[in-house]
Amino acid sequence: MSVTLTINGKPTEVDADPQTPLLWVLRDHLGMTGTKFGCGIAQCGACTVHLDGEATRSCQVPLEVAVGSEITTIEGLSPDSSHPLQKAWIEMNVPQCGYCQAGMLMAASSLLAAIPEPTDEDIDQYVSNICRCGTYPRVRAAIHKAAAEMKA
Amino acid sequence: MNKSFNLNRRKFLISSFAAGGAMVIGTHAMAATIEGLPAGVPTPAGATEFTPWLTIGADDIVTVRATAVDIGNGTLTQIASYIMEELNPAWDNIKVEYADTNRDYKEGNVYSTPGGALGYFSGRSTGPARMDTYLQVAASARARLIGAAAEAWGVPAAEITIKDGVLSHASGKSAKFSEMVEAASKVSFAEEPKPKDRSEWTWLQKKAPAKIQIPHIVNGSAIYGVDVKVPDMVYAAMMQSPVMGGKLKSYDAEKVKDMPGVLAVVTVEPGENVPTDLKPPFPFGVNPAQHAVAVIAEHYWQARMALDALPIEWDDGPGAQWKSTQQMVDAALAAVEKPGEKVEVSNGDVEAVFKDAGKIVEANYHTPYCDQTPIEPLNGTALVTPDRVDFWHPSQHSQEAFYVAAHETGVAPENVYFHQTFVGGGFGRRVFSDDARMVVAVAKKYPGKPVHLIWSREEMTRQGRYRPMMAAKLKAALGDDGLPTALLGRMSGGPGFFAVGMPETALTAVTPNAQIESQTVPFHILTGPYRGPGYNSNAFFVETFVDELAEAAGEDPLDYRLRLYGKFADKGWVKVLEEIKAKSGWGEALPKGQGRGVAVANWGMDGKTPSGTTVATVAKVDIAQDGTLKVLQLDVAFDTGRILNEDAVRVELEGGTIFGLNMSMMEGLNVEDGRIVEGNFDEYPMLRMEDMPKINIHFGGLSDDNRYFEIGEPPAGVVGPAVGNAIYAAIGKRVRSTPFRLHDLTWS
Repeated sequence: MSVTLTINGKPTEVDADPQTPLLWVLRDHLGMTGTKFGCGIAQCGACTVHLDGEATRSCQVPLEVAVGSEITTIEGLSPDSSHPLQKAWIEMNVPQCGYCQAGMLMAASSLLAAIPEPTDEDIDQYVSNICRCGTYPRVRAAIHKAAAEMKA
Repeated sequence: MNKSFNLNRRKFLISSFAAGGAMVIGTHAMAATIEGLPAGVPTPAGATEFTPWLTIGADDIVTVRATAVDIGNGTLTQIASYIMEELNPAWDNIKVEYADTNRDYKEGNVYSTPGGALGYFSGRSTGPARMDTYLQVAASARARLIGAAAEAWGVPAAEITIKDGVLSHASGKSAKFSEMVEAASKVSFAEEPKPKDRSEWTWLQKKAPAKIQIPHIVNGSAIYGVDVKVPDMVYAAMMQSPVMGGKLKSYDAEKVKDMPGVLAVVTVEPGENVPTDLKPPFPFGVNPAQHAVAVIAEHYWQARMALDALPIEWDDGPGAQWKSTQQMVDAALAAVEKPGEKVEVSNGDVEAVFKDAGKIVEANYHTPYCDQTPIEPLNGTALVTPDRVDFWHPSQHSQEAFYVAAHETGVAPENVYFHQTFVGGGFGRRVFSDDARMVVAVAKKYPGKPVHLIWSREEMTRQGRYRPMMAAKLKAALGDDGLPTALLGRMSGGPGFFAVGMPETALTAVTPNAQIESQTVPFHILTGPYRGPGYNSNAFFVETFVDELAEAAGEDPLDYRLRLYGKFADKGWVKVLEEIKAKSGWGEALPKGQGRGVAVANWGMDGKTPSGTTVATVAKVDIAQDGTLKVLQLDVAFDTGRILNEDAVRVELEGGTIFGLNMSMMEGLNVEDGRIVEGNFDEYPMLRMEDMPKINIHFGGLSDDNRYFEIGEPPAGVVGPAVGNAIYAAIGKRVRSTPFRLHDLTWS
């Protein structure tokens, strides 16, 4: 089935089974591999994208459900890595292996859009992604730093 | 999408070249990532190669080649830092790329010493052989550039300086590297110039650059193994025998052959490799393939759907005799009740002391199977033809993966091309290359097409090379001063368990009579390295036991350790304990239900003192009356000797501490009828942001001994016993097994 998705502001044509998870549509059919496969059951959050601005685990969104939504992936978070979160991530040496970090960034950017000055509890609630390297303390600190920069 | 990527922050490139200058990893657009067949690493056009380790290009780019795969531990950044220290190019002009395993083979191991540790394509960047190699390579290039400039300008070499990639002289003359590089390549010395003395360093130990690959990570352009795209690539999903060692009995490909996208169903068996003379590299041997069936399809999701629908029957084999986890734990615990078959240490006469001792302390402990669980699922892409193999893979040891590709296919090693990608977590899981073997074994059944095999999370968790299940008995006699006069330690575990962490540790060394034994139990579950192999169980056993000794002696557990380990020749142990005592709030009053615990251990000690990395952790916990355990704070002090990049060390200590916390609080795999039960994160839960304690890293334990020892593995061993000992301090309940989440911690 051929459908048109809106990805990072652009209409994008894709031909795949309507039940194919959005994750695999992005990665395999469209070659947009910034969105990662980690578990396939919405546990780890590596596949987090925005659907109409809301952080969503794309492994649980069938293609047919994604039609009509504004989809934002890590590739569209900013045109030039200039999002305050991306800058804070680099400055604060946040990632280790880096594999889960696209999902972390998409969860964190959705949080900051909803709550510009999040508390630690807000971060705990919004950023439930799994990081096996243990970057959690730096992810938290970098979110606070980015929030401060966005306020300034 | 990468057209928008802007390198204005940092022009640093991480790349592994394919043919025609296309990159496997790097900043190039996805469609251009791998076009045509990749070859080895070519010297860029117009570049001068000083050694296989270093080239300087006409564009002033200094390219350095790395054999230590970066799994998030910062090896590439450290290697760039060595070059920066000695050669002083512009930092943004240093490019790190992975050394080519094919070239290494063809050119007589230019990057590796067979059987040695210099070049094995894995491990850390701060080992003496690696560090000395890179510093020397850069010092030699520096002296040649200066020699060429001295000749050109007619001035003494000693008057020429280098800064930010520019050679200059007080007379006003200056030149970029590129202007001198051709002449420099012709300069020769009777003896290579010596790298700087440590006292002259201006970058190492002074600067702490963040990892150079982060710009590629934050915009999604970093290419991990699972992201590889090759023209005409097909996908595969695989199932291996659910009981390890079992065999494929039957399958019915007819049932799935008409499903969308399905191209083929193939099988894998051990022993289908083709004999080769190539020797496996240091430090591992040969890992055979497992019995498996795989579906190959046009798209990955199609392969997964078809595999789910494929009727498969297995012959479980002897592993099915292990009906339950408890049966295995019982077998491991029974094994430590009798003398071990292998005596690891025997000093003095333990039994004679036990006979006459006034006070004896004895306890048994056990730890479960755990999976390394990197978040990038196991995967790889291989194109096998009769006379050439190309293999893209997130390896933790690219030379082992290269070897496996040659060994499995029988293709001559000079025609095997291994392409290292970014690695989405290692922790030991991607070192043995058993995953690499399965990729190549599947791909060779569908020759002529690149086959991209991706494990499901469930398949990966159930087909691990786990931290071994282990049990231990520890028994000590205490003298009048409360310190042990005799120690009996017995370890048991399945085949391949690691004895590291008990025979050679300080407790064994400072106890006048010590007997350490080990016993292998015939479990079928396959095992492998997992962050701090052996040590991560033995540190829990030993340091929980030392807490029990302190209690029997009626002494504060930290003061007891100061006295006990004060007898050890490596004074770093006392230094880290004193640091942690001063910085952690040790001894300050806590409300009911809260407690502090301490543990100290050393990873990498090799019998010489001082050696390895010593780490001490103090945990502060809160336990609600309903048994809910919350770790509030972890303080960590350590001694690696010296350090080179403070933030790189800090980040590894944070990560290793959280890894060890997860291992001790959460992890344990179960076995039922020989199969691993847990498949995904709903069954094998992980700590998340909300579970994080406050973590403080303290640097005052460093001894300044002349070593830059490992930092990733050491913290993983001490968190568990520190938390366990804190649980005892809080509610008086001694936990002698992990994970702690399974213990009843209710109190009233």
